[in-house]
Amino acid sequence: MDPSEVEFLAEKELVKIVPNFNLDKLYLIGGDLGPFNAGLPLDVPVWLALNLKQRQKCRIVPPDWMDVEKLEEIRELERKAAAFTPVPSPYYMELTKLLLNHASDNIPKADEIRTLVKDIWDTRIAKLRLSADSFVSQQEAHAKLDNLTLMEINTIRGFLLGSLNCMYKLRSNLQPGSSKGQYGDF
Amino acid sequence: MFVTDIRKEFYEVVANQRVALLVASDIDALCGCKIIQALFHFDQVQYTLVPVMGWQDLGTAFLEHRDQFRYFVLINCGANVDLLEMLQPEDDCIFFICDTHRPVDVVNVYNDTQIKLLIKQDDDLGVPSYDDIFQDEEDEEEAGDDSGNESGDGSEPSGKRRRFDEGAVERRIERQREKREWEARRREILFEYEQYEYHGTSTAMMFFELAWLLSKDTKDMLWWAIIGLTDQWVHDKVTHMKYITDIATMQRHVSRHNHRNEDEENSLSVDCMRISFEYDLRLTLYQHWSLYESICNSCYTSCHFKLWTLNGQKKLQEFLADMGLPLRQVRQKFTSMDMSIKENLREVIEESSNKYGMKDIRIQTFGVHFGFKNRFLASDMVHATIALLESTENDENETDNFIKALDSLSRSNLDSLHSGMDLAKKKLIAIQQTVASCICTNLILSQGPFLYCYLMEGTPDVKLFSKPMALTLLSKYLLKAFIQSTRNKRCRLLPLIMAAPKDVEKGTVLVVGIPPESETSDKKNFFGRAFEKAAESTSSRTLHDHFDTCLIELKTEDRSKFLDALITLLS
Repeated sequence: MDPSEVEFLAEKELVKIVPNFNLDKLYLIGGDLGPFNAGLPLDVPVWLALNLKQRQKCRIVPPDWMDVEKLEEIRELERKAAAFTPVPSPYYMELTKLLLNHASDNIPKADEIRTLVKDIWDTRIAKLRLSADSFVSQQEAHAKLDNLTLMEINTIRGFLLGSLNCMYKLRSNLQPGSSKGQYGDF
Repeated sequence: MFVTDIRKEFYEVVANQRVALLVASDIDALCGCKIIQALFHFDQVQYTLVPVMGWQDLGTAFLEHRDQFRYFVLINCGANVDLLEMLQPEDDCIFFICDTHRPVDVVNVYNDTQIKLLIKQDDDLGVPSYDDIFQDEEDEEEAGDDSGNESGDGSEPSGKRRRFDEGAVERRIERQREKREWEARRREILFEYEQYEYHGTSTAMMFFELAWLLSKDTKDMLWWAIIGLTDQWVHDKVTHMKYITDIATMQRHVSRHNHRNEDEENSLSVDCMRISFEYDLRLTLYQHWSLYESICNSCYTSCHFKLWTLNGQKKLQEFLADMGLPLRQVRQKFTSMDMSIKENLREVIEESSNKYGMKDIRIQTFGVHFGFKNRFLASDMVHATIALLESTENDENETDNFIKALDSLSRSNLDSLHSGMDLAKKKLIAIQQTVASCICTNLILSQGPFLYCYLMEGTPDVKLFSKPMALTLLSKYLLKAFIQSTRNKRCRLLPLIMAAPKDVEKGTVLVVGIPPESETSDKKNFFGRAFEKAAESTSSRTLHDHFDTCLIELKTEDRSKFLDALITLLS
C-alpha cells in the first residue's frame, strides 16, 4: 500500500468546520452532509474541509486532541510504556500533516503541535522496530500488536514481509529435502 | 462606461462564464492577474490567460479568441485607445477594462453596452462632458426640416418667399457657424484632454478591493496588491502624494489582517505569512546584497554622492566612516553582517544621510516575512520580477518570461524569485555603469527643447536596454544623475529622450521620452502625441506598439529626421 493511499483513507475522518456560506443538505453516496449555515459549526469529512478551506469558504476547528497539553501527556505516556499506548485518532499522523499544511492559520501553536506529534511518531516507530527485531531474532511464530495505526503498519509492512520471505528461503535451502520450514507464512 | 458596483456588474456576470484574460506585461498587471486568478480558482471559473506585449499582440489574441469567448477582461491595456474601432468585435462581446493608463479614451467612457471600465471615478480623470464632444442627431434633422419647409413654401407670393428665404438662409448660416465653433471647441477640449499621458490607481489594488468586497481577500492577495502599488513607485509612474495616499489605504488592510489572534497563547505558525509596515531605507535590494553594493547601485544614493566621480567615491568613504561602519562589514553579504550593526542600521543611516543632504533616504513601504529565512521588501520583489519578465538571457521568448515572472510571485517558487534577484542585481550594476559612462563621456546632448542620449550598439549590456521597462528605468536614473552633474540651470528643467538599439537585424531602435525631473512633478508625459505627430510629418517608419505611448520603435536610418521634426514640433 502506498502512503498516499493511507492518506486518502484518512481523509474520510470527520473534522469540525465553521462555514461562511449557506447551503442545503448534500446527499452524497457516502452519506448526508448536513445543511451548511454560515457561522454555525458542523462536522464534515476532511477532504471536503480542505477543499472548502482552499476556496476560502470555511474555517477549520482543530480536533480536541490537537492541543499542546494533551499531546505532551500522550508523549510522556508513550515514552514510559513498553507496549503501544492508545492513540488519539487512528489517523493522527495524516490528519496532523493535512491540517497543518493547509490550515495552519486556524490552529494555535501549530509549530509545537508538529514537533510533539513527530516525537510521538518517532517513539512508536522505534518501539515497532525493536519489536520486529526481537520477533525475528527469537524466531517467534506470531505477534500481537495493539494500538497500531494503519500508517505505522504500512511503514514496516513492506520491509518486514520481504525480509521474512527472504529468510524463509535461505533457511529452507539450508535443509534440502524438507518441504516446509518451521516458520509460518504470512 | 464606468462600473459602479464592481461585484454585481463585473464579478457576478463573469462568474458563470468562460472568460479570456488579456494581461499586459508589467508588474502591476501581473499582480492584478494573480489576484483575479486566485478569485477565479476559489469560485471555479473557467478562464484563459493570454499575455500581450503590445497593441498588435492584443489584436492577434482577440482574433484568435473571439469565437470562443464573449467576455474579455483586459488588465492594464486598452483604456487609452478606441477599443471597438481597433478590434471590431461582435455586438455581444463585452470588455471589462482595468487599466492604469490615462487619459481614458472618450469613446470607451461613453459607450454604454460593450465597454465596462473597472476604474474608480474619483481618480481625477477630468473626462470632458458628453455634450461637449458628441453632437446629437437633432441638429442635422432641423437642417433637413428647414430645407423641406423652403420647398414647401414655394406657393407663397414672391415677397413673402424672399423674406422666408432670407430667414431660412440666415438661420442656416447661423447654424453652420455654431457648428463650426462647436467643432473647434471640441477639437480644443479633446486636444487638452489627450495631450498628457499619466497613470492612475494600481490595477492590483482595484482587484484587491474587489476581493475584499467579496470577503475573499487573503494575505497573499494583499501582498500582491502591495507589490503592484510599489511597482508604480519604483518605475516612477505616480506622484509621491498619490503613493503615500495609497500606502495609507493598504496600511488599513494590513492592520486588519494582522489583528487576528497573535497573543501569547495563540501564536501563529512561523510559516504563516506576516506583512508589516516598514519605514525602510531606499537602498535597492540591500537585504539580499551587501550594504556597500546597494549604496553604490541605488539611484538615490549614487546621484547624491555623484559616485561616477573620484570625489564622490571619497565622499562615500567618509559617509561610511562617519557612521562607524567598518568596510569589511559593509562589503559582505547583509545577512552575515554583525547583529550589533544591523540593529540600529536604519536610524544610523538616516542621521548620517541628513548631514550629507539626503533627506528622504527612508520611504514608507511594506515587508513580508514567512518561514525562518524569507524576508522581502515590496521593492525587492518588484525588481526581481521585472528582471525575470524582461530577461534577455538564453533567448527565451516573451511568453515564457511572462509565465516565469508570474510564477515567481507565488510563495512556493522561491528559487525563481532568487534567480530574479540575481538578474536584478546584474541589471542595476549595468544601469549604474551605463549612467557613469554616459555622464563622463558627455553623451547627453541638449537639443533645445529636450535632452537626447543615444546608446551605441557596442556599449556593454546594451541588450538589457532593448526592453521597455529597463530602458525607462535607465533614462530616469540618467536624468537624475545629469541634473546633479550639470551646471547649466536651464538644462535641469528639460525632458529627456533616450534611444537604444532594439533589434540589430531589423535595424530598429527603441525610443523613450520621459518628462522633466522636478520635486513637484505630476508625472504627465506629452511625448506620446509628440512622437505620433513627428512620425507623421517625416513619414519615418515607426511602430507605436507599446501600451505606453511614450515608447516607440524606430528605424535607425530615420533617427535624425525624426529628431529634427521633434525639435521643430516642441520648440
